[in-house]
Amino acid sequence: MTSRKLLSEAKLWLVAIPILLWTLIPIYHIFLFSISSKDSAFSGALWPDKPTLRNFGTVFRQENFYLHHFWNQIWNSLWIALAVGAITLAVATCAAFAISRLKVRGGRTVMNAALFTYFIPAAFLAVPMYKAMGAYGLLNSRWSLVLAMVTLASPYAIWVLKQASDKLPWELDEAARIDGATPLQLFRLVYLPLMLPSLVAIGTYAVLLAWNEYLYAFLLLSHENTIPLAVGLGHFLASDDSPWEILMATALIYALPPAAIYYAFRRYMVGGLTSGAVKS
Amino acid sequence: MALVSFSQIEKSFGATKVVHGISLDIADGEFMVLVGPSGCGKSTLLRMLAGLEEIGGGTIAIDGRVVNDVDSKDRNVAMVFQSYALYPHMTVRENMGFSLRLRKESNRVIEERVSQAARILNLEPYLDRYPRELSGGQRQRVAMGRAIVRDPKVFLFDEPLSNLDAKLRVAMRAEIKALHQRLKTTTVYVTHDQVEAMTMADRIAVVNDGRVEQLGTPLELYDRPANLFVAQFIGSPAMNILEGALAKSGDSSCVKALGQRWPVESSGGTDGQPVKYGIRPEHIGFAGRGSGGIAAEVVVVEPMGAQTELVVRVADVSLTVVTHGRANLRPGDGLSLSPEAGHAHVFDPATGRRI
Ligand SMILES: Nc1ncnc2c1ncn2[C@@H]1O[C@H](COP(=O)(O)OP(=O)(O)OP(=O)(O)O)[C@@H](O)[C@H]1O
Ligand SMILES: [Mg+2]
Repeated sequence: MTSRKLLSEAKLWLVAIPILLWTLIPIYHIFLFSISSKDSAFSGALWPDKPTLRNFGTVFRQENFYLHHFWNQIWNSLWIALAVGAITLAVATCAAFAISRLKVRGGRTVMNAALFTYFIPAAFLAVPMYKAMGAYGLLNSRWSLVLAMVTLASPYAIWVLKQASDKLPWELDEAARIDGATPLQLFRLVYLPLMLPSLVAIGTYAVLLAWNEYLYAFLLLSHENTIPLAVGLGHFLASDDSPWEILMATALIYALPPAAIYYAFRRYMVGGLTSGAVKS
Repeated sequence: MALVSFSQIEKSFGATKVVHGISLDIADGEFMVLVGPSGCGKSTLLRMLAGLEEIGGGTIAIDGRVVNDVDSKDRNVAMVFQSYALYPHMTVRENMGFSLRLRKESNRVIEERVSQAARILNLEPYLDRYPRELSGGQRQRVAMGRAIVRDPKVFLFDEPLSNLDAKLRVAMRAEIKALHQRLKTTTVYVTHDQVEAMTMADRIAVVNDGRVEQLGTPLELYDRPANLFVAQFIGSPAMNILEGALAKSGDSSCVKALGQRWPVESSGGTDGQPVKYGIRPEHIGFAGRGSGGIAAEVVVVEPMGAQTELVVRVADVSLTVVTHGRANLRPGDGLSLSPEAGHAHVFDPATGRRI
């Protein structure tokens, strides 16, 4: 290795190490709490005297007051996240195809209008959203949160997919048309397969957005049986003497699916969000 | 197989008119090449025939049926794109069978037709590869395979060879021509390369600025270009053009240019009329010294093996001369030129038309 290479490598590490510590220390903290017993949780040691997995057992057996609906709530989280992912994908893919490939008149205007909604902070939209869901009688139904999250995720999803669609070579559409494809066949047989990397990236984005959502979930859902786990965890803070070690164990469990998804699709996340990532 | 006829075709993009009333009839089984400089509207014409571009004015008919309002997929034409436009997520086999699959042909028929096309194009070893795993020439053949499995009425090619290297281009040129002789499908082939046009075409339409300048067989265009544009476009190296005046006396005529007399066969025009005189490099011979030829000085010698290209200077104007075999000449040498009267062309400088 030449000295110049060594130097640039060293500089990279100089940046990387603080960032790594910055992100990893809180996670390590969560982990530490989750394997500590109740008495040693606040000891401040870097490693507990007697590490234990009992907290996880408590969570899985729903043995804590705040966790009586653990399985129910994690199921809600999962159901909502997957529904948001699927519906956002369906909406955004069709919109991107229509705008970018079929060049539907006014398509770009619709997309820009949708993107414009991001100028309004989500918190401001919460009240109108609450009223709208109330008007449709959806309050306290998981569908209310699903619809709200689809609304929030779609503009970005449409925009990213439209950018990716624009990068597909136009001749492919023309070749397919000459080969005898109808627009629907073009969509199904040529467009979707080529967009797959971007679709995975956007689907993951929507799923994670819904999985991590707190504000709207807290607002639109209030029943123990309908709330996702994120809101359920929030309830821990209601008491003065919260069982932190159990809260952290649950949090760790809750953080695992996103980490797994991200790890599985990391290739698409980087490529898909930045580019069409399709070789023509 | 089909007749294709364009009549009074026009096309504008916004305010710019790019095709000005082109009429062209293509015979059943004919290999028609549209050739012209970049931006002259060749692709636009082809795309209108394919149904990829709206027809601005006039009508296009295939086999007597006007197709102006017929969807591309119902025109039964197949097109080979410059970029090949192969579906990247399908294997060669799937690419070639795609149109048949859309037509809901049975698997047996698809398999049969694809393997037949693959045999013709020597693609059998590659049927299960993806386009990205093929070389440029192989991709080009897959694009052709995709067209021939359909057994279309008309083949359309839009500069299909321009992404290939020179050697492969020559090979593919021959392959496409052989394919046409075998299938005898009416073909419209667009290129800006006049060599491709000359070597492949039954007939050539030279297009310039949205108009057909001349329509004819390759040798007709070469021997009797109808105007200056065609004269300079067809032939390589390009024709020498000199400005001069016609001099007629009795039966013999010549053009006076650069203070010399350039013989031409008696033609129209009047004595003293200003003209442009054209002579191809291969039609200028050498005269013995002192035998009344045109004195010139050698500037550049380019030996090509079978022939030698010379740039010579006559009164400060450079001319290209091609001579067969090898010339024992050096820059600075003097020589005497003898242009062949039978191969000289005379054009009206105002209209550019042949006189
Ligand atoms: N979609 C379009 N919008 C606006 N102008 C266009 C469009 N397509 C083509 N043109 C214009 O029409 C003219 C003819 O284009 P065309 O593609 O037919 O040229 P060409 O003869 O095929 O040239 P080349 O050899 O470079 O492919 C050009 O001046 C081009 O700029
Ligand atoms: Mg073109």
